[in-house]
Amino acid sequence: MSLITYREALSAALWEEMERDENVFLIGEDIGLGGGAFYVTKGFQQRFGRDRVVDAPLSEAGFTGAAIGAALTGMRPVVEYQFADFVTETFKMIVDFAAGNHYRRMGPVPIVFRLPAAALVSGGPYHSQNPEIWFFGTPGLKIAAPATAYDAKGMLKQAIRDDNPVIFIEYKKFYSYRPEDLPAPLRIEVPEGDYTVPFGQARTLREGEDLTLLTFGTTVLEALEAAQVLESEGVSVEVIDLRTLVPLDKEAILASVRKTGKLLILHEARKRGGVGGELAAIVAEEVFEHLDAPIRRVGAAESPVPLSPPLEKAYLPSTAKVVEALRELAAF
Amino acid sequence: MRAISYAAASEPVRPEELTGLDFHRDLADRYLAIEGLEARWIPIHREGLRPDKETALRLHHLLSLTRAVEESLDSAFRAGHIPGTAFFGRGNEASSVGSAACLRDEEWLVPMHRNCGAHLAKGHPPYSIMAHFFGRADGPSQGRDGNFHVGYRPKRITQLISHIGTMVPIAAGVAWSAKVRRNGQAVLTHIGDGGTSTGDFHEAMNFAAVQKLPLVVVIDNNQYAYKTPPSDQYACPTLALRAPGYGMPGFLIDGTDVLVVREVVSQALDRARRGGGPALIESVSMRLSGHSVYDRYADYADMEKLKLWERERDPVKRYDQFLVEYEVLTPEEIAASHARARAEAEAARDQALKCPFPDPGKVADGVFAE
Repeated sequence: MSLITYREALSAALWEEMERDENVFLIGEDIGLGGGAFYVTKGFQQRFGRDRVVDAPLSEAGFTGAAIGAALTGMRPVVEYQFADFVTETFKMIVDFAAGNHYRRMGPVPIVFRLPAAALVSGGPYHSQNPEIWFFGTPGLKIAAPATAYDAKGMLKQAIRDDNPVIFIEYKKFYSYRPEDLPAPLRIEVPEGDYTVPFGQARTLREGEDLTLLTFGTTVLEALEAAQVLESEGVSVEVIDLRTLVPLDKEAILASVRKTGKLLILHEARKRGGVGGELAAIVAEEVFEHLDAPIRRVGAAESPVPLSPPLEKAYLPSTAKVVEALRELAAF
Repeated sequence: MRAISYAAASEPVRPEELTGLDFHRDLADRYLAIEGLEARWIPIHREGLRPDKETALRLHHLLSLTRAVEESLDSAFRAGHIPGTAFFGRGNEASSVGSAACLRDEEWLVPMHRNCGAHLAKGHPPYSIMAHFFGRADGPSQGRDGNFHVGYRPKRITQLISHIGTMVPIAAGVAWSAKVRRNGQAVLTHIGDGGTSTGDFHEAMNFAAVQKLPLVVVIDNNQYAYKTPPSDQYACPTLALRAPGYGMPGFLIDGTDVLVVREVVSQALDRARRGGGPALIESVSMRLSGHSVYDRYADYADMEKLKLWERERDPVKRYDQFLVEYEVLTPEEIAASHARARAEAEAARDQALKCPFPDPGKVADGVFAE
């Protein structure tokens, strides 16, 4: 057990899975010779060779399709995009071919799409987006969104062993965070050997009685900070990290809302079309009688992601916005 | 003896000689082979293509069965048995059969929606195809999809999606796994003339060439992409000319002659199996029916040209004539083969019409692999 970075956790998962199963291979731009845009696969090509760490031409649709074709014949490809935003090049491959394949009775497609996502210091409109909003409505895709190094390693291993296509969202912001700088609930030691984190199990980052705060991805940070602020004001907030969006841990969500009676949903993506809308609908449909206040959501501004620092700051959900929403809910 | 060979090739063709190619006239007794920057016409000596009797019968059965299965499906559509629409490959039988008949059992076929003949040649049973078209429980997709979007995994035939072009990268990936597994297998895929205009086609050809994949790409140029003729689709005299740009050999062949298709595709597959890399084959035919069963062909097609091809380049009739002319089969044997194919297709259709529909209670089953 040790404290390692999110990036180191991802690298360890890939390395161990490649050692374990020769059908696992990596494909993407600059991942071999260059070690990847974010150096997650640094040194891999030296160890595993050019056949298993494939430097693809600049052609996301082409190499995504090729990876899917390889998966059809029993390989277990892990596809890396330099930035999650570039996955838009590949929609037909993922949404139309891979996602529906098992439903069409044409066999499993065991493949992982690694998407370095979300905002990171003025990435601008094409290097900052939250891709879950594009895939959440497509049957047949699992969506994982690890927020800790522990989950990054265990969930990536789980994704590689899963027989379904997995949209694996990585948070660039977390790659380099030093474990000692993270809030305690996110500072989790990572086992050196093999373990997996099953999909569909949310993690309660902080227990509370008065309010439920559902979140995932980068905004676990704002959620925990805001919960701390509310605690100093005498309000107890339960913070839940969903960890996977498909499958969704509905039971954990409903149980928490039954307990607290109040719900705030927080994510970095915009509210419109965001996953939060579906979460709110599920809660309203299934435990409406337990609600003591209207469901609230906090997300990004309804615009593309702007680049200039003051604009980007205004676009993103902040701890202050979360605190304000929590206070309103507490007072309701 | 190999009648089609580089030894018999002409002098290199000058680029200007390729402008204004007339596929009907210019491919009648030769085909074009492009290696590196050199293109050569290769004469076809038909005597040398003469198959043994067993092979001749097998190919004849497949060509005739393809025609019969599609005609049965067409009449079933008119009788209201096919939900949605239906796309057929009338005119494409030789390209489908001649190519897929070269594949080994363990090799993968990545067909497109006009390759009924390739499905049959690879071993997809007519009953399964019919049940699929009728949306019944015994179709491989169990009613989840229609048309030749279906694959047949027991015979290593992949499914496809409607987004034309998408399957070429998928085929490249199937070939990629053959390459890294070093199993000596090659992969065959088909794409249409329209599909070559997509970015996916380019990305796949480039990837296949860079990775030297065992992939043979047959472009079934049936001279219409829905309602668009080649002149509005691409500006090069032949799509085979793209091959040297990618760094692979290219061929332009008459896709209505099953023996020519078989000869050129089998050579390309052998080369791929030996590690020689991919090849691009433009196989020209004429789409002899509309884009789909709803399409009014006469609204936009050059019907004179279409009738000429129907008269002189119908793949089934052509092969019948060849077999008689070269005394491989007797007219009686040919008639009996047609009758067998017709009976097989109709029996499959009748049986498929008795197959139950899928259980509506299972509509959401199987979205995920467990």
